[in-house]
Amino acid sequence: MIKIALYGKGGIGKSTCTSNLSAAFSKLGLKVIQIGCDPKADSTINLLHGDPVTPVMDYMRIHDEEPDKIGQISKVGYGGVVCIETGGPTPGLGCAGRGIITTFSLLEELELFDTVKPDVVLYDVLGDVVCGGFAAPIREGYAEKVLIVSSGEKMALYAANNINSAVKNFEDRSYAKVRGIIMNRRSVENEEEKVRAFADKAGLEIVADIPRSADIIKYEDMGMTCVEGDPDCETSKRFIELARLLMSEDKQDD
Amino acid sequence: MKNVARIIPCYAADTSGVCSALYELGGLTVVHDASGCNSTYSTHDEPRWYDMRSKIYISALTELDSVLGNDEKFISDVVSAAHDQKPEFIALCGSPMPMMTGFDYDAVAAEIENRSGIKTIALHTNGMNSYIDGASEALCEIVKAYAEEDQNIVNGINVLGLTPLDFTLGSDKDIRDWLKYYNFECVCTLAMGSTLDDIRRMGSAALNLVVSQSGMAAAEYMLKEFCIPYVCAVPYGKLFSKKLASHMASLIRDPLNFSPFVLPCDGFPEADTVVIGEGISAGSLAAALWSDMKVEAKPLCTLPSHSFFTAKCGGQLTAEEDIEAYLKETSPKTVIADPLYQYIVPDNTRFIALPHFAFSGRCFQKDMRSLINKNIKEYFK
Repeated sequence: MIKIALYGKGGIGKSTCTSNLSAAFSKLGLKVIQIGCDPKADSTINLLHGDPVTPVMDYMRIHDEEPDKIGQISKVGYGGVVCIETGGPTPGLGCAGRGIITTFSLLEELELFDTVKPDVVLYDVLGDVVCGGFAAPIREGYAEKVLIVSSGEKMALYAANNINSAVKNFEDRSYAKVRGIIMNRRSVENEEEKVRAFADKAGLEIVADIPRSADIIKYEDMGMTCVEGDPDCETSKRFIELARLLMSEDKQDD
Repeated sequence: MKNVARIIPCYAADTSGVCSALYELGGLTVVHDASGCNSTYSTHDEPRWYDMRSKIYISALTELDSVLGNDEKFISDVVSAAHDQKPEFIALCGSPMPMMTGFDYDAVAAEIENRSGIKTIALHTNGMNSYIDGASEALCEIVKAYAEEDQNIVNGINVLGLTPLDFTLGSDKDIRDWLKYYNFECVCTLAMGSTLDDIRRMGSAALNLVVSQSGMAAAEYMLKEFCIPYVCAVPYGKLFSKKLASHMASLIRDPLNFSPFVLPCDGFPEADTVVIGEGISAGSLAAALWSDMKVEAKPLCTLPSHSFFTAKCGGQLTAEEDIEAYLKETSPKTVIADPLYQYIVPDNTRFIALPHFAFSGRCFQKDMRSLINKNIKEYFK
């Protein structure tokens, strides 16, 4: 099973990359689960044509009890992708990190993987590895690889460096390892050089180069991913290429 | 406000279950919690504390440690204590605060094992569940870690789920005597009166006797890994314990005829005597009351129980309001339970006190009696 967590600076395009990657995997015939781990709960919206799934935390808040069926907290989106959102506490209250851990425990209790039998699980995680909760997706049994989404912007690279360092801190534990960087271009001057310089220094590979494209915005406005809207456009091809790369690596690992 | 206990106390927590289960096995048990909480876990819930030494430690977690995620301090403290104390193994368990911060017991246990070279077991308690959960995981993990395949002992019996939270001190001897009387050989009494060496030999037994829900997970594991069947019952009374011995002997002779439950729990749904307590214990007492005294009784499980008990017995009710409503609705003539239940039993009901350490701690310890292979007519006359 391919299990990957995507991290990156807030607003850098993690959800866009994750849902396009999910769509790309499903286009290649794989069964995918995408779990949004952000209190904003907007990771999977473009796989669901704008009709969002009830986040786990919202379900618990409304019903004052845990769900007892996967269907109560999931929706099937484009290409059969099973979409789940952890959601979070009331803004300004509670603990969002703890919400992620609670959701993961619940998904285990509901035997999500045994029920859905996915080939791929993608975790779309908020910003940085800021606390134990936000490190939960990279713990043993969850993601095995981390992809860091970054542009050539200074703060995006700063966040990428923090994430890489945080994951390295867990080298003694059986946590996920950073697989590489998804360069999500933002039309920054000398963007490729800047990202490449960081990648070289950190010893990381740029595994995908996503062009700045109006297609992404066009199809997101229509409530879908670029891969769904136009699988033959350059952006979609890059995501499908990345999915193929990760599939072949998974086969080699097996 | 479901599950709020206004009148009766709650049962000992999962952390106490871990400490109790591992108390006599020579390990270093570390509870990740604030300083001072050792008394909650190991003195209030541990009758052996003043008479038997054990390496039960608290990590002395502080607010800053929690906020800053000082796992390294915890790890180095445990490794240092382990070098001083040289335990047989290390067991880590937790409390509500590490649960909130997402402390990763498995990863930390692996790090401690790497650095100390001592087998380290992660137990996922959080202080929010009953002692059954903690004791159950601890006993199962210790069996996984140490039980080995061994030459079969034809009449060999392991007793699983024996802790002072459910049984009076000395119950291990009572069970050994009872087993010996009926020509069984006791391999291990997990975990009162046994050592790690006894646990290593558990694979040689022909049958496991599960005396509380705390032993169920270990029994299921041993059934799967060692093909050792199990029976769930406590040998209470004289005639019921004889009947149980006979059932165990027949199961050893014919292990394919595997039936783990020997309690006639579903025999008396209309019984006007209710036994409140841990499922296997309450069910066994109901069975013994019928066998020994021809008293019809039904158990009411107030702790997590196997689905057998919840489906066929008086049911499983864990919330005070539900237990109170059940007793009001069914109006039993007699209730047998820990003395602290008396306050939610209807006024016109006869109440027979049967202290349960996991519920009332030391309050009624002097009144606790072992009913194992004993004439129970005296107690319940």
